[in-house]
Amino acid sequence: MVGPIYIIALALGLAFFLGFFGKSAKTLSVYLMLAGLAAMTCISGTWLSAFIDGSVSTQEIYTAGFKPPYSINLRMGLEEAAFTFIINLIGLLGGTYLFQTLKKAGNAAMSVFIILIMSLNVIVMTRDLFNLFVFVEIGSIATAGLILLDKESKALQAGLKYMIATGVISGLLLIGIIFAYSFVGNLNIDAIIGANLAGTTAGMVAAFLIVVVLVLELKPFPANGWGLDVYEAANPGVGALVSAAIGTASLFVLHKVLPMAGESFYPYIVAVGVITFVGSNLVGTQQKNANRLLGYSSIGQLGLVVAVIGLEPVLGTSFKFIAFALIINHVLAKAGLFWISGIIRKANISEWSVLRTKPALLISFLIFIFALIGFPPFPSFFGKYQLIMNLISSDNIGTAAFILIGSFAEGIYMFRWVGDALKNEVAEDATESLDCGKLNKVLPVLLMAVAVVAAGYLSIPFVDGAYSTYFIPLAFIMFIGLIDSFLPAVVKNVVSIAGMAYFTYVMYPIIEGDLMRSIFFGIFMIGGILTLIPGFAKKGKREGFYPAALLMYAGLATIITADNTFGFFFGWELMTAGSYFLIIRGKRSKAHAYSYMLFSVAGAYLILFGFGFAYQAIGSSLLEGLGEIKLLPTLAYTALAIGFMTKTASLGLHIWLPGAHGEAESDVSPMVSAVLLKAGVFGLMLLFLNMGDNGETILYVLGWVGAFTALMGNLSATFQEDAKRMLAYSSIGQLGYILFAISMMTTLGWLAGFTYVLNHFMFKSILFMVVGGIVVATGTHDLYRMGGLIKKMPLAFIAVMVAMITMAGLPPLSGFAGKWLFYNAVILKGWYIQGVIVFFAGTIAFMYAYKMLHSIFFGQLKDNHRNLKELSPAILIPAYILIAGIMYFSVFPQDVLQPINELLVSLNLGDTLTWAADGNATTVLSNWNGNAVMIIIVTTFALVLLYTMLITGKTKKLEQFNIAYSAERPFRPETTHYSHNMFAGLNKAIGFLVAPGITSFWNNVSTMVMDFAGMVRRIYSGNGQVYAGQIIVYIIVFYFIALGK
Amino acid sequence: MDYSITKFLWSLLGLFIILNWGMLMSSTMRRVGARLAGRIGVPMYQPWIDLAKLMALKTWLSHGVMYYIGPVFRLVGGVGMFLFMPIIFGSEIWSNYSFSGDLILLLYFQSFGMLGMAMGASDSSSPHASIGISRGLAQFAAVEVPMTLAVIAIAIQHQTFSFNSIMEAQQGGVLNWTIFTNPLASIAGMLAMLGAMSHSPFNLVKAPNEIPIGPPTEYHSSFLSVLRTNSAIIHVVEAALFMNLFFGGADTWLMYIVKTFFVYFISVFVGMVFPRMKVEDSVRWFLKWPTAVGIIAVLVAAYWK
Amino acid sequence: MDQYLGQVVMAIGFILAILGLYGLLSQKNMIKMILGFSIFTTGVNIIMVAIGYVKGGTAPILDAEGNAVAKFVDPVPQALVLTSIVIGLGVTAMMLAYVMKLYQDKKSLNINDYKDLKW
Repeated sequence: MVGPIYIIALALGLAFFLGFFGKSAKTLSVYLMLAGLAAMTCISGTWLSAFIDGSVSTQEIYTAGFKPPYSINLRMGLEEAAFTFIINLIGLLGGTYLFQTLKKAGNAAMSVFIILIMSLNVIVMTRDLFNLFVFVEIGSIATAGLILLDKESKALQAGLKYMIATGVISGLLLIGIIFAYSFVGNLNIDAIIGANLAGTTAGMVAAFLIVVVLVLELKPFPANGWGLDVYEAANPGVGALVSAAIGTASLFVLHKVLPMAGESFYPYIVAVGVITFVGSNLVGTQQKNANRLLGYSSIGQLGLVVAVIGLEPVLGTSFKFIAFALIINHVLAKAGLFWISGIIRKANISEWSVLRTKPALLISFLIFIFALIGFPPFPSFFGKYQLIMNLISSDNIGTAAFILIGSFAEGIYMFRWVGDALKNEVAEDATESLDCGKLNKVLPVLLMAVAVVAAGYLSIPFVDGAYSTYFIPLAFIMFIGLIDSFLPAVVKNVVSIAGMAYFTYVMYPIIEGDLMRSIFFGIFMIGGILTLIPGFAKKGKREGFYPAALLMYAGLATIITADNTFGFFFGWELMTAGSYFLIIRGKRSKAHAYSYMLFSVAGAYLILFGFGFAYQAIGSSLLEGLGEIKLLPTLAYTALAIGFMTKTASLGLHIWLPGAHGEAESDVSPMVSAVLLKAGVFGLMLLFLNMGDNGETILYVLGWVGAFTALMGNLSATFQEDAKRMLAYSSIGQLGYILFAISMMTTLGWLAGFTYVLNHFMFKSILFMVVGGIVVATGTHDLYRMGGLIKKMPLAFIAVMVAMITMAGLPPLSGFAGKWLFYNAVILKGWYIQGVIVFFAGTIAFMYAYKMLHSIFFGQLKDNHRNLKELSPAILIPAYILIAGIMYFSVFPQDVLQPINELLVSLNLGDTLTWAADGNATTVLSNWNGNAVMIIIVTTFALVLLYTMLITGKTKKLEQFNIAYSAERPFRPETTHYSHNMFAGLNKAIGFLVAPGITSFWNNVSTMVMDFAGMVRRIYSGNGQVYAGQIIVYIIVFYFIALGK
Repeated sequence: MDYSITKFLWSLLGLFIILNWGMLMSSTMRRVGARLAGRIGVPMYQPWIDLAKLMALKTWLSHGVMYYIGPVFRLVGGVGMFLFMPIIFGSEIWSNYSFSGDLILLLYFQSFGMLGMAMGASDSSSPHASIGISRGLAQFAAVEVPMTLAVIAIAIQHQTFSFNSIMEAQQGGVLNWTIFTNPLASIAGMLAMLGAMSHSPFNLVKAPNEIPIGPPTEYHSSFLSVLRTNSAIIHVVEAALFMNLFFGGADTWLMYIVKTFFVYFISVFVGMVFPRMKVEDSVRWFLKWPTAVGIIAVLVAAYWK
Repeated sequence: MDQYLGQVVMAIGFILAILGLYGLLSQKNMIKMILGFSIFTTGVNIIMVAIGYVKGGTAPILDAEGNAVAKFVDPVPQALVLTSIVIGLGVTAMMLAYVMKLYQDKKSLNINDYKDLKW
């Protein structure tokens, strides 16, 4: 094996040698440089693979033939091999990426480039403190040199600020080193660590200086303006190096020297890291410049790893995995993003929509962003999960909370960026500035994207509860993604449905016998297949639709089948990502998808936070831990409940839903409404079953929340003019019922809950499919622009009518089962007033049911709709399958409810319901025979119909305008269609209840956060002198906090 | 469960009696109203004449299928309500099909006819119809609040939703009636009844002056006869519902007739005295006083035993 | 006086370093800032030399008697200082180069004129 010293020798020699090359052979020089970098990568790569094999042990390399302290020694171990490999690889790819730039800049630039990479290698490997200083300095000078690659004024300014800051930092480092030396008499890092510098005050000051200065190299918030400027102004290729390579090396150095300061110093490093992570991301929320934004993100991510390094004593055996997962994730994603930025060459993130013209880059971009936020299947997801689990297990709850807050803040700007890229208009001349003709620019980006996925896969063995089976559906989705741009939608639809059916068949045995899971699994999978069918009516390729839909369904399936919190969370995040991509496809969905994502991410972090307590309770990720939480159970359960409620869109957390569901594509709405929302319900049910006595207050509060959600949702739906938004608000209301029902925590309450879950799944699928189809056909969302369509679409009408009657809970359809159970449950539980609110909501539901039926199907047919035809069978077939389901449920409710009843009795929920053989259900209060009701009503209906037919005789149809309209004959359908502001009276009376108070509350919150961020970022005044001053102040303040006592 | 033909015929007989009683009651009330206004009023047999005339008028005009089916829905709603409630307390033959459900079923089945009728009327494309319906639905929603509160208070009091059990609890003297044992719930319920009966001041659904008779505006001849039939039935059935809940039910047909008349008379009497309210006013009204009384009733029933 | 020489030198070093830092932070002229920086590094270097000082010590060269080992002035700080001076030179040169380029761009030496990047 080639000695690691040759990395240095090779680089130095090459850098020297390149100087001799004339200006004539620039191309050759670049190739030589790349060859050198490749060789360096190979050397560290072979070491790395040897360490992974276990065929070598850690090597100490002594220079000049002496052992320390008489010589400088380097170390090559697993960690060093891994870090140098990453650095060299980034160097190689970064050099490739900068090929043209370096060639233009000349041989000197290439020498500087290779020296920079070399210095980073030494920084990682060296065990000598002074040697470390020397190469940190060399690295800084080389970086300053590379910043000069772009000879713009901004880059120059940034470079000077960088020089001033690093100059001050390294001067102080030198003071620290020399004092450490004077106390220990040795410059070897291990020797200094062994000498316990922290034991004396003076020694501690030396150690403090060294550590703090190395922390400052990592640009901690808020003393980091100089770093931000470099990210913004330098060539993105250099930005990638600074963020990925230099950042990585600096982290390793910090890890290396931190023990000098002793155990007691670690918490301060955690604080520094967390402050940086939260602060940098928070301030980043105001940023619109792409490169500077990446800078904020880089600093934040590095801060997170700094915190993790400080947490080493806490994290124990998981430390290495967590730190490495976060680092590799950051390196790959951030380098990729900087390189994309260099290709896009758009300063403002709102112009990044031009990415859409390059699908491969767009997908890479999305992968990087989702990796940074910590979505599965990327390594940071694994790392963050394990980090939070370990933190809460070790009682570092505050740290965990702040890390999650910081992650959320990062999401705020990252998803705004994604939204801009996916939805903004592409200006006509936007593609002119693109620089993606050269393979050497695009290829490194794609490699990073592949690598970050692969790194995710490799993380599996390190996390408790992670199985490689979770990647099987992902592989299928990637396959769909690969064929995405070639095949028409019809083929992909068939493949997707087949894939889902097969997946259902394979996965079902896992949950067989668990009725609760089977019900939800059925809703997700059957619902998934049924809601995919309307896609047959769509033309074209529908690029991006199928991967997103399948991602969501894969996530949903994983949630159900997972037996541990990791799997659950994995599925939860997949589902969130998939649904986000589905929702954002709508024409006007950008803002709504954004708010959906923010609520979802916040909710997901709350869930993760709660899961941490479960992990703490049993020391493993099994879901059983949820029932064992002893540490702060109320906090944990509340966090989980709120987390799940972001998906059920309960009052206060619902503002994303109307827009997200209302503006989604016609066949996406049923997916995200009828199917997706049930994930939150499943989570809540799982939670409630585990809460035990700790949850009583929470349940009581949630009961009220559910009741008010139902009222607010239904009332808002009543006042909507937009058909799909009406249905969306209706979903909020229905989910309010469900929340209320299951909060009762009795058999009857849960039965009602399950009834609502099943019914809502069926009727809302029908409604969104059919109404969505009508919206497309009529070309308007506005109810008052429709009308009279019963004549054109009778089958659609019947479907909507059945669905609406089910929703309104009228006997004899299955909706009544829910109402009946509700009344019984409410009385037995004693939640009377809440119950009345819910019943009031129920009668209000009636009003929008009528408004929708009337406005779409009755009243006046509009002139521009005279040529409409019945909806496509692709929509009607799944709708009628679901109607068959409703009918079955209505006629034989006991077939469905009896097994659930038995399940609930077995769960000890009390208040039972008994079923007679003839289908009569009895509680202590009441009885109901769904079967009999159906028979009686159908018979009565038939007889009355017969009677009516007898007395009326044969009828002839009247013309549209042939009505008694105050003795006038109307001639314009618009003037005679009573729909707009239909419930004006009700609105006057109680409309104030749904004044958008909650929306303005969240708007105020976001304005406050933004204003705060805007205020804080004024510290980055742009003055290099101020930045240097901030560094000094940072050290002084840090000193007084850490050592002042 | 008894689906026998005898049962069916007994129920049919009961329906017939109630239909005629409903018509008689309405002509009585019209005469009372006329006397109050200083007129003589219609003859007592006027409703029968009207009904016979309308039935005899064959129609051949229809706005569409739903228009046709609307009155059917409406009548099924009325008949269904009748069928799901026992007529005479303690009588097997007059128990109808009440075994299939109880008070809850009835409360929700109320809406069955309403929604069907609403769709039928809408199919006529007349804006008057949908204006009336929209008002009706808004008021209905508001009325349901005190109604539900009253029902819950009674359910708490008697620990049942079953009509028979509720009536049973009220046997053995006038003082056992809910109106005396649970006056607050009864007040809330009776105030809700005023709305449910759709007489003045809450008759804005049909509001003859502004939206000539509202939902049925396009219905004529035999369609109208179906609606008239229904309204005769439903007035009695609604009255019977409140009778069963608050006034001890009826153990003979005589008591049935006396009590339903009394309950119905209350709503008509109030209607004679007060002028019609606007929608927003009636919604506010129901959500204010009757609701407040209802909430107190529930709290009293629940916590002050 | 003699026995305090080490401390005095070190104090001078610190004073220089702090003065240099003060200059760097207070002067608006970039050339003066760099001068401040140079003074700062000089101060740091003096501190390093002072740390290695041994009273009455000799050069770290082995002589025939072999007693020099006891009287060595620690050679390491001196070696470090040499390296540090070289690096300081490099950094200063680099900074000056930047200032030159910036001056060509905006014809100003005032650091306040170079705030195009902020927030």
